[in-house]
Amino acid sequence: MRAVQTASLLVALATLTAASAQSTVKVGAVTSLSGRFATFGQMQRAGFQVALDEINARGGVNGSKLELLLEDDASDTNKALNAAERLVNAGVPVVIGAYSSGITKPLSQYMARVKVPLLVATAVDETITKPGNAYTFRVNNQSSIYTRSLIEQLRKMGGMRTAVILTSNDAFGKSVLSDAKKLLPGGGFTVLSQDTYDKGLADFRPLLNRYKSQNPDVVIFASYEEDAVALAKQVKEVGLAPRVIAGIATGFALPEFLRGAGAAAENYLVTMVWNPDVKYPGAQNLYTRLKKALNGEEPSQHAAQSYAAMLAAADAIRRGGTDPEGVRAALAQTKLNTAFGPVSFRTYGGYQNQNSVVGLVTQIQKGQFVTVAPATAARGKVVFPKPR
Amino acid sequence: MDQAAVTALLQTLAQGLLTGGLYALIGTGLSLIFGVMRVINFAHGDFLAIGMFITLALFRAFNLDPYLSLLVAAPVGFALGFVIQRFVLARLGDRLSEGSMLATLGIGLIVSNTLLLTFGAQPQNINVPYATNTFQLGGVQVSIPLLIAGLGTALAIAGLNLLLYRTELGRAIRATAQNPLGAELQGVKTTNIQAIVFGLGVAFAAIAGVLLMPLLYAFPTVGENYTTKAFIVTVLGGLGNLPGAIAGGLVLGVVESLGAFYISNNYRDAYGLVAFLLVLLLRPEGLFGRTVKRV
Repeated sequence: MRAVQTASLLVALATLTAASAQSTVKVGAVTSLSGRFATFGQMQRAGFQVALDEINARGGVNGSKLELLLEDDASDTNKALNAAERLVNAGVPVVIGAYSSGITKPLSQYMARVKVPLLVATAVDETITKPGNAYTFRVNNQSSIYTRSLIEQLRKMGGMRTAVILTSNDAFGKSVLSDAKKLLPGGGFTVLSQDTYDKGLADFRPLLNRYKSQNPDVVIFASYEEDAVALAKQVKEVGLAPRVIAGIATGFALPEFLRGAGAAAENYLVTMVWNPDVKYPGAQNLYTRLKKALNGEEPSQHAAQSYAAMLAAADAIRRGGTDPEGVRAALAQTKLNTAFGPVSFRTYGGYQNQNSVVGLVTQIQKGQFVTVAPATAARGKVVFPKPR
Repeated sequence: MDQAAVTALLQTLAQGLLTGGLYALIGTGLSLIFGVMRVINFAHGDFLAIGMFITLALFRAFNLDPYLSLLVAAPVGFALGFVIQRFVLARLGDRLSEGSMLATLGIGLIVSNTLLLTFGAQPQNINVPYATNTFQLGGVQVSIPLLIAGLGTALAIAGLNLLLYRTELGRAIRATAQNPLGAELQGVKTTNIQAIVFGLGVAFAAIAGVLLMPLLYAFPTVGENYTTKAFIVTVLGGLGNLPGAIAGGLVLGVVESLGAFYISNNYRDAYGLVAFLLVLLLRPEGLFGRTVKRV
């Protein structure tokens, strides 16, 4: 710890001398660099770093270098609150964070109390911006985006009337289940079965058999990586062959899913909010830079979200100055086009300061995620009906 | 019932039986150990995890077909079991029942944490081309890896029976199970026999792990669930009763599958436990009773 402090002090000194005439502008961030969310914290850090390098290479913010004060919350709410307090005391005009919804919710309440804007980069819980508060801005999507964009796409593909839903029995899975139950009838679908399962269930065969006997047009899954792979394999095994199989983000949206499930996952529809192939300017380049920042590891959408959040923070400081109230006013006027997609914070449909993220629908084609919807972001055409 | 419902029922039954076969293999190892030395092996599921991770490591390193890993996993399991019995459990002396319970619990913790340190907590799987291969049998889809697992189970159990009833070693094992002191007096080295039996039990768990690997992902604590299953299987069939363990495994697999299909998936583990409680209430000695000859 001591060595780290000394090292960072030396780095700080070096930057000070290098840019002796140039002062720095600080931005704070809280994420989980250790603890159970550490994988995602690493993704966030990579996203921040790539954005920071990009901003400083272009000359920084209003002639000053942008500096990131990054605090680790150790995947713990109390530590996150302490970290935020340190950042506020250090005088940052805006804080980005945290990874998980459970930590971000109390963090957003604290930040509103001390009147410093919080820019949420990855947490998806609906209640963070619904109703939200004047000091919380969210760059990434709310969780219902995934289900909404999928059902929109299914409606467009046409000719399908029945669906079954199977999700993991946790906060995310349950919210997908309730969103799907609400939205499917509106899209003209009858829900034939809705189930949840406990994480780590290895044998989905009885459920999949039941679905097979119900013969639905669409099967919708939401689950973590290992279960996603097991599901894809067992779907093939029991011979469940609906017209469309769809995975809602998380486990299905990971490169590990493609590797683990192989050919069994071909033609699955997977909803996510960012994919390297989207038609936003610079997306492919961002992917390359994120991958480099992660030492060759595949970046997830969380890295891209964090990248966009850092760009939005810098942009707000550029326009609003280094006073929290100024930054807050500037954030409300944000209009950015990033490699993650357009960013603007709006108040609509019960959400406050929520970026209306474009929900992407990708399809696994020849072992790759290919963005197929919406048309503004798509690279490829959806393969439908499924070739036999 | 219409045609689709009948097919779905048959399919669920078939898969339940094949899954039950795997439970039987795991339960047999546990039952064998209990039958011979009255030790309940709480690390049984963790030995299964060892089998899975051996398969995973060999696949990653040499692209070795999962089923060929049996040639490594079974002897490694046997050696591990032999050493554990010889150098840990055998030294507990007369305090065997409580001592062995705690010792096997501790060994299980060591095993799962060693796997955690070596392979990480992330669930990992291997993707072999035939993992999702199936064939049709009168409208019922049968998974080839699951069928191989079932056949492997049958072979392993048949082999064990040959060993127990057709060889000198088997005779010694049965003698040790019936009366350790008497066997010792007849010149049987019971400490060796017990180590061999524990080795066989662990080898069975490791074999089950290998057979599961093409179907499932591995993670360090994957065994926990299977320790419980093995225990249920063993008690269903009657403690220490090998044919009982096989029947118990099949019953558990079918009960779980039918319950998940017709009632709800959420109580899946509960169906086995309910069957377990019913058997204990109605036939405390297990489905096959204690009057049946032990190994």
